[in-house]
Amino acid sequence: MADVAAARLPGVLEQIALVAGLRWRIFKNSVRRKHNLWDLIAMIWVAFFSGCLVICVAVLFCAGGYEFVAKNSLTWFALLYWVIFLWWQILPVFIAGFGSNFEFATLLRFPLSLRTFYLLGLGYGFSDLAAISSICWIIAMIAGAASARASIVPVLLVVSLLFVLLNVTLERLAGSWLEKLLAKRKSREIFLGLFILSMVSLNFLNPAIRKLGPGAKPAILHYLPYLWWTPGSLAGKTISAISIPDAHGQLLGIGGLLAWVAVLSVLLWRRFAAQYSGEEISDSPRPVTLRKREKKQAVADEIPGLLAPQVAAVIVKEFRYLTRNGFAFISLIIPPAMVVFFSLQFGPGSPLKEHSIKPAMFFPGIMAYLLLILVSPAYNSFAFEGKGIQTYFMAPVRFRDVLLGKNLFLLALIVMELTLALGVLTFRVGWPGTPMFLATITAGAFALIGQLAIANWSSLSFPKKMEIGKMKGQRNSGVAVWTAFGVQILVGGICTVILLAGRWTGNPWLPPIAFTALTAAAVGGYVSSLSAMDRLAEAKKELLIETLSK
Amino acid sequence: MTEIAIATEKLTRHFGALTAVDAIDLRVQAGQFFGFLGPNGAGKSTTIKMLTGLLAPTSGRMELLGLDFQRHSTEVKRQIGVVPEGMGLFERLTGIEYLRFVGRMYGLDRPITEKRAEELLDFMQLADREKTQIADYSHGMQKKLALAAAVIHGPRILFLDEPFEGVDALAAGALKSLLGRMTERGVTIFLTSHVLEIVERLCSHVAIIHKGRLVAQGSLEELRSGAGNQAGEHQSLEQIFLSIVGQSGAEQASLEELTWLT
Repeated sequence: MADVAAARLPGVLEQIALVAGLRWRIFKNSVRRKHNLWDLIAMIWVAFFSGCLVICVAVLFCAGGYEFVAKNSLTWFALLYWVIFLWWQILPVFIAGFGSNFEFATLLRFPLSLRTFYLLGLGYGFSDLAAISSICWIIAMIAGAASARASIVPVLLVVSLLFVLLNVTLERLAGSWLEKLLAKRKSREIFLGLFILSMVSLNFLNPAIRKLGPGAKPAILHYLPYLWWTPGSLAGKTISAISIPDAHGQLLGIGGLLAWVAVLSVLLWRRFAAQYSGEEISDSPRPVTLRKREKKQAVADEIPGLLAPQVAAVIVKEFRYLTRNGFAFISLIIPPAMVVFFSLQFGPGSPLKEHSIKPAMFFPGIMAYLLLILVSPAYNSFAFEGKGIQTYFMAPVRFRDVLLGKNLFLLALIVMELTLALGVLTFRVGWPGTPMFLATITAGAFALIGQLAIANWSSLSFPKKMEIGKMKGQRNSGVAVWTAFGVQILVGGICTVILLAGRWTGNPWLPPIAFTALTAAAVGGYVSSLSAMDRLAEAKKELLIETLSK
Repeated sequence: MTEIAIATEKLTRHFGALTAVDAIDLRVQAGQFFGFLGPNGAGKSTTIKMLTGLLAPTSGRMELLGLDFQRHSTEVKRQIGVVPEGMGLFERLTGIEYLRFVGRMYGLDRPITEKRAEELLDFMQLADREKTQIADYSHGMQKKLALAAAVIHGPRILFLDEPFEGVDALAAGALKSLLGRMTERGVTIFLTSHVLEIVERLCSHVAIIHKGRLVAQGSLEELRSGAGNQAGEHQSLEQIFLSIVGQSGAEQASLEELTWLT
């Protein structure tokens, strides 16, 4: 019989150390597994940048702490606490990337008590960038304040300690709820879509402030005192009570923070208890009911016309994937939204009237910007195929047909987007004149078709797997990014030279004619490249299957 | 003379210094239910991948239905169906959408694709999942869908890599009947499975691969008579398999060391 009795369960601290070691090993192995040098360089760059950011902000917090104490403006500590609070709570949402990294609940297979599980969960909250940087800034703030007046340190320490505990508990609670929400594919995609929308709408904050600013400021100042009960304000209020001095206020503030910690701890305990008891949060198939499917007319699932069935099938599949990719689907509204944004900022009637851009410049500029955004997926067009990539290699289909289907779908999508965007632009900025309009359209056609052959080569040679409904790591491979960058600079350079040539020669029809000729050449080049893609796909078969089926 | 469905000649595949498949010569006759066995890492999946065009061989030749694979890959692919190791499904499509897609990729016209897709979904008991994306299917349901996709175009050779893994007993019974009927109609089935009872029940012929080399090939009776069976007693496929592949002395010795467990 197995000798279970001989085993001694590790203590809480030992278990925390074990989990920390596990996290470290996971990180080390993820670095070791990076085949792509660019990914490693990017990681080092992000680490360096993050380190610099934390140090620079720590210096600011130190200076702020010193200044506020030296000038006896202790009310301003609320601002510092608010910055830390927002950073600590919002950054993890971005870093989580809408996908699970290390599933904390997997630890439940080990013999842990609920208390240990709770402490491990809380301890886990101290290991992310938001927590580490926030604690650094709090220490810097205390150091700054202490150098101005040492007597303030005890209260500052107590308040900051409670504030740290409050933040880590709230962050773990929010993270746990978010994990539950995002475990379901549909809710994850909806959440991601809303997130993208909110990010896009941030662009309109500046124009909105410009328009509503004078009226908004008094309203904000009027409602600000009502936020006294929030963590940042409560912590700030407790510190500012020192200057009066108001012991009652200090005690009330500390009591308020304690109440926050207690309530959040109870809620977090309940969440962890639910997880501990084996809460199922992921998608699981519903029970099968054996029911005959009703025979009905097939939904139009085919594109009629001259296309080969294989090409048409790929187009239909691409359409289905687009409609099920919340991120990609919602990002379709970004181009017209950005056109509205740019026209608000730089168009006629904008606050920057003296710097406003003429329609004749706006059209090619916007076209270039939109193409830059919209063509990027073509450089990694198999990103979302997953294991389905094997179907293309198992079926009696030439890869040129697969690529043609994908390219035609992208082309149709971009034409639709550009039509919409240029329509909005004409409405907002005005008509740029027929020659410039035609020049913009033909330049766009050249820039788009001219890139497709190279984009196809990039898709086959440097594939990178992406997953629908996830944000973390959802970028093309480093080489594909640099290839796209180089090609777009080249194509952009050619277009600029031709547009300028039209100006220098005084012939407004020169650019559209030149771009039409270039587009014809690009179409020829694209068509002749397709056969080469068949051979390339065969040569890159193993790379594609291995990379995308992981 | 019986038609040869699958024939390989010194088929080899290297991965760097590792030889995953080492000069194997396979011969499978048309209409056979052929079991391809081997321990983990023996080279079964690598062989299937090469035979279905998912992996290029390092050297050697493959002929399927008398056609050289390298030279006539499209024509060969038109006549084979595959349930690969990872199933190869587009997980963001629904079952019916995937079958329509596959049917069209194999060049079936629209009405036939539609009819077959519906019939297959009914047969596989997936018809009520009309709006469910494949990503939300259970493993067994995905397996059944992959099998439906592999047969939608009526292949002459069917390659199945662990087709019954995760499939419930009810559906597995129906699938076995279907596969049996297909072989009666002359379809060749090339099956790998770790469940030797299934192979023994379904397959008429078997090949065993071990460390990349083909160590046995023939009908079950031929293997029984050739597996050191002097006493003439009936041996199960598992016994034949173990006697050919062998349980090494090192494994036995390791077992002896686990005294704290055993």
